[in-house]
Amino acid sequence: MIAVAFKLLCYDKAKFVAMIMAIALAAFLMQNQGSMLKAFLGMSGSQIRDVREVDFWVMEPDTECFDQAKPLPDKALQMIRGIEGVAWAVPILKLDTNGRTDHGKLRTLSILGVDPSNRIGEPKMEKGQVEGINERNVAVVDPGGWAILFPGIAFEPGRTIRVHDQWLTICGISSASPPFTGLPIVHTSIFTARELNRGESRSSTFVAGKCADGRKVQEVLERINRLTPWQALSRQDFMDQSYRFYEGQGVPMIFNITIMIGLLVGTAFTAQTFLMFVKDNSRSLITMKVMGVTHKQLAVMMAVQAAYLTFLGLAIGTTIATLTSEFVRQIPFLRGLYTPVPVVLLCAAFMAGIAFLSAFIGFRRVLAMQPSDVFRS
Amino acid sequence: MISAVTCHQVRKTFGSGDTVIEVLRGVEFSAHLGEMTFLVGPSGCGKTTLISVIAGLLNASAGEVSLFGIHLPELGSREQILFRRKNLGFVFQQYNLIPALTAAENAAMPLLAAGESLKSAVNKSKVVLERLGMGHRADQLPRTLSGGQQQRVALARALVHEPRLIICDEPTAALDHESGETVMQLLSSSAVHPDRAVVVVTHDNRVFHYANRIAHMNDGVITHVEEKRHKPHLS
Ligand SMILES: Nc1ncnc2c1ncn2[C@@H]1O[C@H](COP(=O)(O)OP(=O)(O)O)[C@@H](O)[C@H]1O
Ligand SMILES: [Mg+2]
Repeated sequence: MIAVAFKLLCYDKAKFVAMIMAIALAAFLMQNQGSMLKAFLGMSGSQIRDVREVDFWVMEPDTECFDQAKPLPDKALQMIRGIEGVAWAVPILKLDTNGRTDHGKLRTLSILGVDPSNRIGEPKMEKGQVEGINERNVAVVDPGGWAILFPGIAFEPGRTIRVHDQWLTICGISSASPPFTGLPIVHTSIFTARELNRGESRSSTFVAGKCADGRKVQEVLERINRLTPWQALSRQDFMDQSYRFYEGQGVPMIFNITIMIGLLVGTAFTAQTFLMFVKDNSRSLITMKVMGVTHKQLAVMMAVQAAYLTFLGLAIGTTIATLTSEFVRQIPFLRGLYTPVPVVLLCAAFMAGIAFLSAFIGFRRVLAMQPSDVFRS
Repeated sequence: MISAVTCHQVRKTFGSGDTVIEVLRGVEFSAHLGEMTFLVGPSGCGKTTLISVIAGLLNASAGEVSLFGIHLPELGSREQILFRRKNLGFVFQQYNLIPALTAAENAAMPLLAAGESLKSAVNKSKVVLERLGMGHRADQLPRTLSGGQQQRVALARALVHEPRLIICDEPTAALDHESGETVMQLLSSSAVHPDRAVVVVTHDNRVFHYANRIAHMNDGVITHVEEKRHKPHLS
C-alpha cells in the first residue's frame, strides 16, 4: 500500500507540486531569515572567538558587548597580571574610526591593536605575513574588509588608508571572522592603534588573559571581580553577553516576523492543499475502505505522503536558502551570512510538524468517510 | 441449497424524530452459493440500502443478517473489515477505479489491502484481467479506458481475491447495451462458482436472463422471488 500512497500523491501533478512548493517556500523563508538571525547575532562574538589563546576578558563594568568598547585605565593591565591564578594577561585596544583609502573611498574601520611582544590576538593570515604589523603604521585587513575598502581591486600589498594624519599600509589579508558591524577588521600593533586613538589617553580597551595551569577559570574571574573595579568574563560568557545584547536590541524581531509568516503561510497552504487532496480522492479512499484497507493502513499511507512531501519541500527550500546565503555573502558587508545547521534542523522539525499536522487533519476526514457512500454517485 | 446470505425481518431507518424514514421494512432475502441472485425493483425502493446492510457497510436497525452463518455486527470493527476484505468482492455502477493506478494495480487492490506486495499482487491481477479480455490494457490508467473496459477491470478487482460473495450495484447502468451485455456475460461466466454467491442489483430488464433467481423489491420489502428455469452452476 506504500507504493499506492506514492501513486495517489503524485497523480495530480499540480497539487503535488503546489504542496511541495508551499513547504519549500515556508522552509526557505524560515531558513533564510533564521540563518540571518543566527549568523548575524553569532557574529557579535566573532572577534572574541578569534582570540583562541585566552580564558577571560576584562573590561569596563558597564560593557554589554564587544562593540561597546570603552578603554580601561593603564593600571588595569598590571593589576590583572598581579592577580593570583592569572598566568598571563595582554592588552587589546579596539577603536572604530574613519579612514580614506588611497583609492579615495571613505570608510569606517574597526581597528584592533594587539601586543607584538606576545602575539596574542594576532589574526590567522590568508595572504602575507602577520609579522608585518609589528612595524609602525602597518596593518592587515580581513577579506571582506579589503573588498569594502578597495572594491573590485585584487589584493596587493602596499595599498594605504589615511586615518587622521597617518597612513596605514596594508601588508596582508587576515582570516578574521566577519564582525556583527560588517566593518573592515583592521589589525595593527597596539602601538599603532594607540597613536590612531586620538583624544584618548587610556591605552587599552580590554585585557585578555589566561589562567595558570590547574586554576579554575571561575575562581580566577571571581577574584578579579572582587579585587579590581572591572568586569571579568570568561571567553564564552563574553560571547554570550554580546549575543544577548543584540538580541535585546530587537534584532530578532525583524526576522521573527518573517519566520512567523513563513510558518503560517506554509501551514495554511499545506493543510489546505492536503485537505483538497483528500477531498478529491474521497471516492478512491472510500472504495479502499470498502475493499478492506484498514484505518491503520490509511494512516501509514498518509504519514508516508507527509514524510515524502516534507523531504522534497525541505530539500528544495534548503537548497534555495543555502544558495541565497551564498549569493548574499558575496556582498562584503554581509560576508558573515551562512546557513547554520541548527537552523536547518529546526526548520526541518517545523516542516515535518506542518506536513504531519496536515496529514492528521486529512486523516480525520478519512476516518469520517462513510463506507456506505461507496454506492452513491 | 447452501445459503450464503440470509436476511430475516431486516429493518433500516434513517434519521430521527419527525424526519425518520424507514427504508427497509422487514426484508426476507437469501442468496445461495453457486447462484446469481438478482435484486430488482424501482428506483428508491431500498436495494442499495439492503446490499449495504448485507455487506456490513450499514448496520440494520432491526432483524438478522448472516453471511455464511456469521452475524457481522457481532464482530469487532476490525474483524468486520478483515471479514469483508477476505470474503467480499464489489462492483459499482460508477466503477470506482482509482484514477492514479493502472488497470492491473486497481484490480490488485484487495490483495494489496491484505498486505501482498505490489509486484505479486499485480501479477495475479493480470491473470484475471487476461481472463476477462483486458490483458492488453493491464498497464493503462482508467481514464484511457472506455466505460465497459473500466467495468471489466472492476470485475477483475472483485474476483482477484476469490471472495465467497460478490455484490454488484447496477453494474450495467452506466454502460451502453453492448458493453453491459459483455460485462454480464463475463460476470456469469467467471464470477459464478460453486463456492460463491453473486448478488446483482439492477433495474435493467434486458439482463434479467442471466439470473438464477430474481428477488423483486418494492417499498422496502421483497415482494416475491422468481426461480429461473436454468440450473444453477453447481458442479
Ligand atoms: N443515508 C440516508 N439517509 C436518509 N435517507 C436515505 C439514506 N440512504 C438512502 N436513503 C433513502 O432511502 C431510500 C432508498 O434508497 P436506496 O437504497 O438508494 O434505493 P435504490 O438503490 O433502490 O434506488 C431512498 O428514498 C433514499 O432517499
Ligand atoms: Mg441504488
